[in-house]
Amino acid sequence: MRYYVQRVALAILLLLAVSMLTFGALNILGDPLFNILGPVAGDVNNPDSIKMIALAKKEFNLDRSLPVRYFIWLSDFVRGDFGVTFSSTGQPPVSGVISERLPRTISLVFLAQMFAILVSIPWAIIAAARAGKISDRISTINAFFLVAMPNFAIAVILKFVFSLKLGWTPITYMADDPLRSRLFQLLLPALTIGLPVAAVYQRLLRTDLITTLQQDFILLARTKGLSKTRILFVHALRPSLFSFITVVGLNTGALIGGSIVAETVFRIPGIGSTLVESIFRNDFPVVLAIVMIVASAFVVINLLVDFAYTLIDPRVRR
Amino acid sequence: MSTTPVTPAPDDTIVAKKLGVGFWLCVTWVGLMAFIAIFAPVLPIKSPTANFINSAQGRPPYAPSWSHWFGTDKDARDVFSRSMYGARISLTVGFTAITAGFLIGGTLGVISGYYKGWIDRISSFGFIVLLSFPSLVLAILLTSLIDRNLLTVSLVLGLLSIAPVGRLARAATLQYADREFVLAARQIGATNRRIIIKEILPNVAIPMSSLALLGMAVAVVAEGGLAFLGFSVQKGITWGGLIQLGSDASKTLQNAPWIAFFPILMLFLTVLSLNFAGDRLRTFFDVKETTL
Amino acid sequence: MKIIGQSNRRTRRILGATVVGLLSVVAVACGGDDSSSTNSAPAETGAPTSDAPTTDAPAEETPVAGGTLRVGLEADVDGLNPTASALAVAGLTMASAVFDPLFTFDVDGNAVPYLAESIEPSADFMVWTLKLRAGVVFHDGTPLTTDAVIKQFEITRADPLVGLAVRPYYPETGAVVKIDDLTMEFHPLEASQFFPTALTAQLGYIASPTWLDALAADPTLEQQPVGTGPFQFDSRTEDSVTKFVRNDNWWGTDIIGPTYLDAIEFYPVTDPDTRTEMIQNDELDILHTTDTNQFQTYRDDPTLTTSIDDNGDEYFLMINTAKAPFDDVRVRKALALATDRQGYYDLFNTGEGRMADQMFTPDSPYYNADVKQEGNDPEGAAALVAEYCGENPVDDAGVAQCTDGKVNMEYQWSGPSVLATRIADFYNENWKASFNVTFDEKSQADNIQEAALGIYNVVGWRQFGAENPGDDRVWLECRNIGGISLNWPRYCDDARDALIKEIANPASPEERVGLIQKLVQNLHDSYAYVFMTHSSWAIVSTDKVHGNCDRKSPEGNSLVCSINGRMFFQSTWLSS
Repeated sequence: MRYYVQRVALAILLLLAVSMLTFGALNILGDPLFNILGPVAGDVNNPDSIKMIALAKKEFNLDRSLPVRYFIWLSDFVRGDFGVTFSSTGQPPVSGVISERLPRTISLVFLAQMFAILVSIPWAIIAAARAGKISDRISTINAFFLVAMPNFAIAVILKFVFSLKLGWTPITYMADDPLRSRLFQLLLPALTIGLPVAAVYQRLLRTDLITTLQQDFILLARTKGLSKTRILFVHALRPSLFSFITVVGLNTGALIGGSIVAETVFRIPGIGSTLVESIFRNDFPVVLAIVMIVASAFVVINLLVDFAYTLIDPRVRR
Repeated sequence: MSTTPVTPAPDDTIVAKKLGVGFWLCVTWVGLMAFIAIFAPVLPIKSPTANFINSAQGRPPYAPSWSHWFGTDKDARDVFSRSMYGARISLTVGFTAITAGFLIGGTLGVISGYYKGWIDRISSFGFIVLLSFPSLVLAILLTSLIDRNLLTVSLVLGLLSIAPVGRLARAATLQYADREFVLAARQIGATNRRIIIKEILPNVAIPMSSLALLGMAVAVVAEGGLAFLGFSVQKGITWGGLIQLGSDASKTLQNAPWIAFFPILMLFLTVLSLNFAGDRLRTFFDVKETTL
Repeated sequence: MKIIGQSNRRTRRILGATVVGLLSVVAVACGGDDSSSTNSAPAETGAPTSDAPTTDAPAEETPVAGGTLRVGLEADVDGLNPTASALAVAGLTMASAVFDPLFTFDVDGNAVPYLAESIEPSADFMVWTLKLRAGVVFHDGTPLTTDAVIKQFEITRADPLVGLAVRPYYPETGAVVKIDDLTMEFHPLEASQFFPTALTAQLGYIASPTWLDALAADPTLEQQPVGTGPFQFDSRTEDSVTKFVRNDNWWGTDIIGPTYLDAIEFYPVTDPDTRTEMIQNDELDILHTTDTNQFQTYRDDPTLTTSIDDNGDEYFLMINTAKAPFDDVRVRKALALATDRQGYYDLFNTGEGRMADQMFTPDSPYYNADVKQEGNDPEGAAALVAEYCGENPVDDAGVAQCTDGKVNMEYQWSGPSVLATRIADFYNENWKASFNVTFDEKSQADNIQEAALGIYNVVGWRQFGAENPGDDRVWLECRNIGGISLNWPRYCDDARDALIKEIANPASPEERVGLIQKLVQNLHDSYAYVFMTHSSWAIVSTDKVHGNCDRKSPEGNSLVCSINGRMFFQSTWLSS
């Protein structure tokens, strides 16, 4: 029990640290007043502008110290009030932006993860079954190549081959299309993110499988006369899945990072592309909100993976 | 299955395997890229920024030909020359980033692995915090807030490599910190500093060396990603930037794929070489993946 | 305590005015088109504002009611509040559906009454008596009265940014005086024979006073405009789609004619390639674009009708004359000489449109054939720079302006844009022989902020195109230089100001032509602008779209089809 509490406490501490660093960086290195007020912020000789600057400072708490501003933001944030965007009208509210765009990114990441898992498991099994033979070496080289290719390069190549030259997949993402078309439009982006990750999974799982296959209980199963397939799937796969699950969880961060690129290349309005846009526009509330969401997802998933691990293997709990 | 069981070699003996032809090929490629990066201005290649508009050929982009080996982009700039020049920033950032990461992260990792205690707790927490930020997000955030010049981009990516390098250094140090020869050295009265430098570092350096190459590959890819999104060095030619230029508009990609594909090729080969060489080094020294 | 809980009305309005398109707001606020005056002053000869479009149904086809028109716009807007929102082309297109302007331009370039019934100037053109139509009602039932117009005027004037275009031209009090519920008097500070042209766009779009009041309490209503127009607001999802439906109580139905469309859906699609794909996939019915790379695709497609017009604004390099090193005219001239204007046109216009020497195309009667934009002379540039740097110039803070014999400068643009970066690289290649160029890519809002505050050296800009050149005065006069300056280059010349005053109140139309041509020469001699190209707008529609050029004014004048990319839909109908 104590272990769980400790880990949760650590996770919360982690998120607080992330939020503090991001908030600090944005407010120290950036210039919120300029982003809110526009030209008026710099027009310090005009008495009207001076009044507006004072008003904006009051409304956005810019006249208070950084720690105070941080706590105000934090108390609003945990209650679900993400504030309003630094846009000219303060519309739409940040939570509106997020709630509209987050589902798309989640679908994308989920699709990518599914693809990676579904591809890597059979691939690893086949490779482990033929370890050392030519087909295994070829697949190792393939995996290597995939990992070496940056995801934006994969995106460009996929777009070129499948959307432009072959015309199999659509080029644009239309938010109003029915679910089926939208999922199809997410296919290439999901591949972009999922392929390199699948390669990573495959290499790991293959190594693990090979190690497991060398264990004594496998030899025993063989002497008992169990078929290769049964051994592979039933006896070898299960223990190897432990580290597989860990890696899957840990790679969520990479997937989310990959979604930024995929969303940009395939023009999907998810939180990845929104993050890039709002960083460029210095729209701090949106940036903060997205960073926190992504970090939270990351931390929570790692936490869950840790917990799952302890449930499977109690030895780890120390 | 006909695999013969392989017993793993004991930890601290180095199995004398060959690095292999592949390794040396990769090292040669990286060396070639580095050479080109350093000497590009004096090499007999075209100017990377000049517009070679040739009305006889019509409107750019021009397909690959004898005068433009990799073709030209939409502004009639030579893609081959730009791909070569792209190595300069991409490799410099990769190298500087991993060096900074090693210096800071490595030092922190060794110290926290050796001394343990509260230093260890703080550094480890710091590492975890850094690792909780999706790295691309942090990189974009910092470069856009600070400045988009070569030094800043390199240091930001260096910051991102501190955590993975530090963790490995710490893990490796932990392995050796309680060994007999270290205890023996302390008995003789050697200072901690001396022990770290003479006993720990040489042993830690081995697993770290492969990480250096792998880490540089990661840094080059990260810089590529930054450049592709438009957040890398301003006014600089980078592989990621070249790829963005060639793929931003669907029409460009469709009709003039060479603009994006040659830089992709260069980037891919370089990253592949770094990855492969790093991996071969790791197998050579037979270092297990140390998790924490 | 919530950070942003209370919506402060003034802050909202500040925020409201910040964004892009401020320049277009004001540009159009001060009128749009070819010279003209009212129905009681002599009409000017003027070139039509757009090509006769190669369009549309032959006269025999009868319009049918019904259908939803899907419009592709180049950007979205943050709000449709004529008193505070920064309305660029996209915003003005949307606004034209829900608001009616007091005056509008006919195909001959005259400002004719629309929402207003008539206007009479005094003999000295210092007092203008405007009469509104009776019986006009806003979408929310409020009647159109003088009070509504005055209220709108005063709110606009008080806005910190949009008001900048209004304040210098009216007295503090008594700018608009009520005579009765339908009659009012305008008292501008200076005589202008062409006063009504100022009421053809944002300043003339009259909004419901009830709505304006409600806005003060709840600024989110800015996205739900209430006007008198042939369409009214239905629904809106930001960055996705805005929908207007037909206003069945439109005042113009009896006087002008019926409105055929059931509804209009506006889709902001920022990527020009995507916009093209969408219209070809039958996901859009009509669109506008300035991306010349698309033009050939449109022309090659037999199912699309395209009309291209470049008589609007110009694209140029704008130079800040108030800040070193460009406070020296030699440096400004050197920049122009160093620029490869022909190369720019070849690479980035890809043969479409025309290069610009001045703010008029040769089609315009105001075109001054003696004025040519210099460029493509690197030796000339080097000579000037050598002379300048030879004096070891420093700015007010003592910072040297030259390094290694070249002038230090910063070029900025709004991004993120791959195209803009390519253009920057191209300019750098041109200028690097004589200038040390630093790049500064900014967000769109930042770019405009810095231009307004004069914190820039050189920036790419689009302006002019009010073919009533008198209405472009707001970008050119000394009085428009301030902390925030609509005279973006901050160039003050009393001779120019005197010219502008005369242009507003000339002794005769012929003299006016001469005066405007002198103004063109004056602009050239200031070297504050390096004119590059005339912006080309293409309006593209599928073969189901008819009638968008059949608009009429209440008096039966044929109205312009489009102005500078702005589209109108009152007379449009869809065939099935």
